[in-house]
Amino acid sequence: MSVEVLAEGSNYELVIDLSTYNSLEEMKIQLDKSLTIVEKYGSETQVCIDTGVKRLTERQLRELERLVSEHGLELKSLRNSERRGPEESPRRAWSDANGQEIMEGGETVMICRHLRSGQKFFTRGNVVILGDINPGAEVIAGGNILVIGALRGMAHAGALGDEQSVIAAFRLNPTQLRIANHITRAPDGERSEIKNPELARIREGKVVIEKLKI
Amino acid sequence: MNGKVLVVTSGKGGVGKTTTSANLGTALAMMDKKVVLVDTDIGLRNLDVVMGLENRIVFDIVDVVNANCRLKQALIKDKRFERLCLLPAAQTKEKSAVTPHQMKNLTNELREEFDYILVDCPAGIEQGFKNAIAGADTAIVVATPEVSSVRDADRIVGLLEAAGLTDSQLIINRIRAKMVKRGDMMDIGDIIDILSIDLLGVVPEDESIVISTNRGEPAVLGNASRAGEAYRRIARRIIGEEVPVYSLDESSIMTRFKRMLKLAR
Repeated sequence: MSVEVLAEGSNYELVIDLSTYNSLEEMKIQLDKSLTIVEKYGSETQVCIDTGVKRLTERQLRELERLVSEHGLELKSLRNSERRGPEESPRRAWSDANGQEIMEGGETVMICRHLRSGQKFFTRGNVVILGDINPGAEVIAGGNILVIGALRGMAHAGALGDEQSVIAAFRLNPTQLRIANHITRAPDGERSEIKNPELARIREGKVVIEKLKI
Repeated sequence: MNGKVLVVTSGKGGVGKTTTSANLGTALAMMDKKVVLVDTDIGLRNLDVVMGLENRIVFDIVDVVNANCRLKQALIKDKRFERLCLLPAAQTKEKSAVTPHQMKNLTNELREEFDYILVDCPAGIEQGFKNAIAGADTAIVVATPEVSSVRDADRIVGLLEAAGLTDSQLIINRIRAKMVKRGDMMDIGDIIDILSIDLLGVVPEDESIVISTNRGEPAVLGNASRAGEAYRRIARRIIGEEVPVYSLDESSIMTRFKRMLKLAR
């Protein structure tokens, strides 16, 4: 499950991806969790829901819609993207209720591009970014954030309150770092350039940055 | 004929989009290419002034898309080159007078006539920007070595990617070699590091640009201007020639001579 703010022209759209879930119950649980993040950190008022190959009935759609409005948001559109490809093995009908939570817990999303100014990415799980996060871009994850590239923008790990979450980057040079309820930034006037991978985590109630030992 | 549509954009204002459009257009025309410059900055048109063609405007882009005139009637021939044309923007209308769909049709019509269609994009990311990029094949992103300009350029590259223009190229404008050497200005490497797009060229800061802009004669016309020289090289790169990128160490014979005198003293 991931939530991505996608650019469309100069308008950004917030898309909640529910395509990996099979039952309505599951979808509702996941939707509720992502909406909690969006409500807290997003500036958007309208969301789109992507159910992948699964179709919804009128009644089911209304249920999701109600859930969205309970979070003070508005459902803009429902879409069925087919982009989720091979890893989504045999297509099960969404109503097939025996769907196991394959990705639950260790759920990780991978992004293989740069996040540029104005682009925003949400996920309930972990995120790996193969590219840079530029100033003005934001990544918010319920779990850990790993940047294989330069982190120059804003990253928020453990957005649902998990203080164990970490942020690691090949070049950790963020405008702001957030872990759970802690917010930090680089000290003023100090421009140190460290060319080694680093890791930010919470130790004794403070965000500390350490050398990344692999 | 199937021309190439290049949009010159930047996000931030005042970084040299119009100057770049005028100079690249003229330089391409100097190399015997058929070129049309399209000004999409409706309401704040400048390209005609920079080209020195202000007094010849009868019809403009809005007249063309609304079919008040034929495309041929609105195209203004340059004073110096037969092969260079300008399609001016309207001054009294707003950006919403043209739609992206109309722009697409317009650029497709121009493709038939010209080798290169250079679209001068307005500042900002609103309707004017959407219009300008609608029919483009490639984007040329202009940025100055300032943090604010690079930030805006980054946003623009993101929006271009979302619109399907994935092979944008970068022109770094108004760079000052001395300041870069002192470490007071972002250098080329820093900027490319952030934007991670291909570098098309680097244009040095040059006072002669101000003079040529005020006179309505693009700097590429004369041989004296260093910025003009840089634009000529970029134009050669656009038509596919291999030209080394202007490097900061490249000093003119005069400065080298001066340095020698200083050493002798």
